Amino acid sequence: MIHNFLFLSVILFCLGIVGVIARRNVFTVFMSIELMLNAANLAFVAFSRIHESMDGHVLAMMVMAVAAAEAALALAVVILLHKHKGKLDTNVFSLLKG
Amino acid sequence: MGQSVNYLGLIPLFPLVGAVVIGLLHVFTCNKRRLPEKFYGLLACVGPALSFILALKVFIALKALPPESRFLSHKVFTWFSVGDLHIDMGFLADPLSCLMLLFVTFIGSLIHIYSIGYMGGDKNYGKFFAYMNLFLGSMLVLVLGDGPVVMFVGWEGVGLCSYLLISFYSEDRSNVLAGNKAFIVNRIGDLGFVLGMAFLFWAVGAQGFDYLSLKANVHQLTPGVALAVCLLLFVGATGKSAQIPLYVWLPDAMAGPTPVSALIHAATMVTAGVYMVARFSFIYAHVELAGTIVAWVGILTALLAAIFGMFQDDIKKILAYSTVSQLGYMFAGVGVAAYSAGIFHVFTHAFFKALLFLGAGSVIYALHHEQNIWKMGGLKAKMPKTYMTMVIGALALAGCPPFSGFFSKDEILYSALATGHIGIWLVGVLVAGMTAYYTFRMIFVVFHGEPRDHHAFEHAKESPSVMVVPLIILAVGAVFAGFLNFPGIMTISHWLEPSLTEAHHGSVILQVIAILASIAAFAVGIKIAYSKFGQGCPEPEFKGFAAFAYHKFYVDELYHAVIVRPYKAIGAAIWQVVEPNITDAPVQGASRLYILLGSAFKVFQVGYVRVYAIYMIVGLSIMSLFLSQSLN
Amino acid sequence: MLADGLFYIFAVLAVLGAGGLVVFRHPMNGAMSFVVTLISLAGLYALLSAKLIFALQLIVYAGAIMSLIVFIIMFLNIQTEDLPKEETKVVYILGSLVAVLPIGMLLFKIVRSLPDKTLAIMGGNFGGVKEVGLLLFKDWLVPFEIVSILLLVSLIGAVVLAGKRGTIK
Repeated sequence: MIHNFLFLSVILFCLGIVGVIARRNVFTVFMSIELMLNAANLAFVAFSRIHESMDGHVLAMMVMAVAAAEAALALAVVILLHKHKGKLDTNVFSLLKG
Repeated sequence: MGQSVNYLGLIPLFPLVGAVVIGLLHVFTCNKRRLPEKFYGLLACVGPALSFILALKVFIALKALPPESRFLSHKVFTWFSVGDLHIDMGFLADPLSCLMLLFVTFIGSLIHIYSIGYMGGDKNYGKFFAYMNLFLGSMLVLVLGDGPVVMFVGWEGVGLCSYLLISFYSEDRSNVLAGNKAFIVNRIGDLGFVLGMAFLFWAVGAQGFDYLSLKANVHQLTPGVALAVCLLLFVGATGKSAQIPLYVWLPDAMAGPTPVSALIHAATMVTAGVYMVARFSFIYAHVELAGTIVAWVGILTALLAAIFGMFQDDIKKILAYSTVSQLGYMFAGVGVAAYSAGIFHVFTHAFFKALLFLGAGSVIYALHHEQNIWKMGGLKAKMPKTYMTMVIGALALAGCPPFSGFFSKDEILYSALATGHIGIWLVGVLVAGMTAYYTFRMIFVVFHGEPRDHHAFEHAKESPSVMVVPLIILAVGAVFAGFLNFPGIMTISHWLEPSLTEAHHGSVILQVIAILASIAAFAVGIKIAYSKFGQGCPEPEFKGFAAFAYHKFYVDELYHAVIVRPYKAIGAAIWQVVEPNITDAPVQGASRLYILLGSAFKVFQVGYVRVYAIYMIVGLSIMSLFLSQSLN
Repeated sequence: MLADGLFYIFAVLAVLGAGGLVVFRHPMNGAMSFVVTLISLAGLYALLSAKLIFALQLIVYAGAIMSLIVFIIMFLNIQTEDLPKEETKVVYILGSLVAVLPIGMLLFKIVRSLPDKTLAIMGGNFGGVKEVGLLLFKDWLVPFEIVSILLLVSLIGAVVLAGKRGTIK
């Protein structure tokens, strides 16, 4: 029974990876990362339910805090990139080429 | 069995230390404040003089020992010990090396004193004396070494110093080329020497590779191996002692200062080959064929060099060819197994040849470095002391009794006759006549008749006493040294007996025939020279055979065309063909390969971060494929 | 029974929302479907007796983080022509699904090997505020403090990054 939660977590995680590597829109990429984090959160909570200990809940809180911090910074970077080039395409920034 | 002492090592050490000290002083002061020349001169003569005193001490110590165990040994340290090869830096003083030691240090000291005057004014004064001391130290190592390896150390050292001193006036390119030629030709000989040593070690060296052990084990050598060793060692001797075919460096070596020619290329270094053959007499005595080859090479060299000497016009070149010729005599002596006769000729030759060279140096010095005899003449009046000493040297060289050259040359010719080598004896007598001719040609042209270059003649005067006194001392030696081996009494031959493996002959008739032939040759030679040059003679023009001989039979040109040019062509071919394609190509190919690999992998660096993420995920999924296989 | 049905409803909604996030072109549409996913995840947390996390998910994630993202999307005033032209979107998505499949399979295998357990709502205030708070301030104090420093850092970073600087053209 509890396995279903974990299966769901795996499916969401894989969908998140697909979103990161298949799309070029910066917002979509960023939100796919958040999706992956949420899948991990679900796994944490499910495992804490299995072991009947609340450490998983605490960790899930930490993950949420980190996600919030990361969201703030990532969006600041997105704004800067938009100011720089006026485009929201990850393929535009290819200075690492070569 | 002999005695072990602890002062033999000091004999070569004193000049070597002197060389280092003088060299360092010169290097550190030659550009800033130059030290006074007298200082260098004094410092330079201290080493050789101390070595001479120690040599006398060695002689006295040896005389006190009974003949069967007449040697002193000194092992300074173990040099290296690998497998069967155990080499000590050791020194051995037996009668043979003691004799060599005495005259090397004595004449060496005299020439150092002479050089104080001759090299005056030269800006590399200190460097000269450093090299000279280094040379003397190396020569002493060569003479005193207790085995072929230590001798080879000295052998190489004297070769090096010969190069350094020949190229001493290094602003002139031809001097440097002469130095190169000497070193390279010597090296070819050294290869033979090393091969001979290696062969000898391979055959009998396991029980000890010093002279005493080798002498004890020599009966283990098969005749073939012994012949090979003898001939290979002799190849080394032809390089060092200027025999056919490696004599070509010695006339060119006259480019060095005259004291160098006197010390190195007359008295000491070039006799190292003869010393070596005498040292290895225990092998040469076993193989008569080797000795015969050595003797014939020697006497033919003597003939060839005498022919050249008759037509040269540079005073030092005449003496150089004379040296080659006399060295030929020495090899003829040791070749017919008359080792003590050969060594005795080394001994007397050192005195009169050094005397002749120093006298020539005195003449050159007086005429401001003029060396062409056809620009000299009539110097008898202006330089009496030089004239007298040079005449004494010339008489000794030509073999006039009772001067020293007569006794030593006669001893060799008698030995050739007594052992049945009639051909060698006849050629030897002919060369004796030629020797007298060219020697007195030189004397008459330089000192008699009318001066040919009046300007130089006006300014010529006798050399300072620091140069004349050694001449006088050497002249005394040239006169009296012969009596040390008077036929019948044979003091030196008996003294050398413990060191050499020699048979003695006694046939009074042959002795008389030899003496008469020698005297006749000398008389004929000097008469012809007097009739042609005694009353003054203009510079001759050479035609036909004379011109051919004046150009030394074009041997140098022949070597250049047959050996040097092809060698250089091979070198050029390797440089232009082999090197770019075979040695450089793989290296450059490797670097090009890496560049190619880099360009291949550059394809993956697209610059899009998304693509890098794709690489990561693809890698991760491949890994998970393998992991899930192993899970179940 | 009810729990199973609720689970399936929430699960389907979550997957559909995630699919929409990945597929939609305009990020606004993607953000909205992501909110659907977040809310259904909150429901799933409730099914797992995680009362505090359920609340925090709704408040922090769906309420704060998503509204920040939506705000920025609207702030940048994105027109359709600003968006990247992704003609090969479908190909890429299918290809990525194929690439990600092995990872998924591995994770499935791992999950299947775990022992099963029934889902009953736990008593004893499991997952309640007081319980989580006690744990947080007793065993997990140091990480808690470090996370607060992390938040401070990101605050300062965000201000510095997006503050007034000359625009780089």
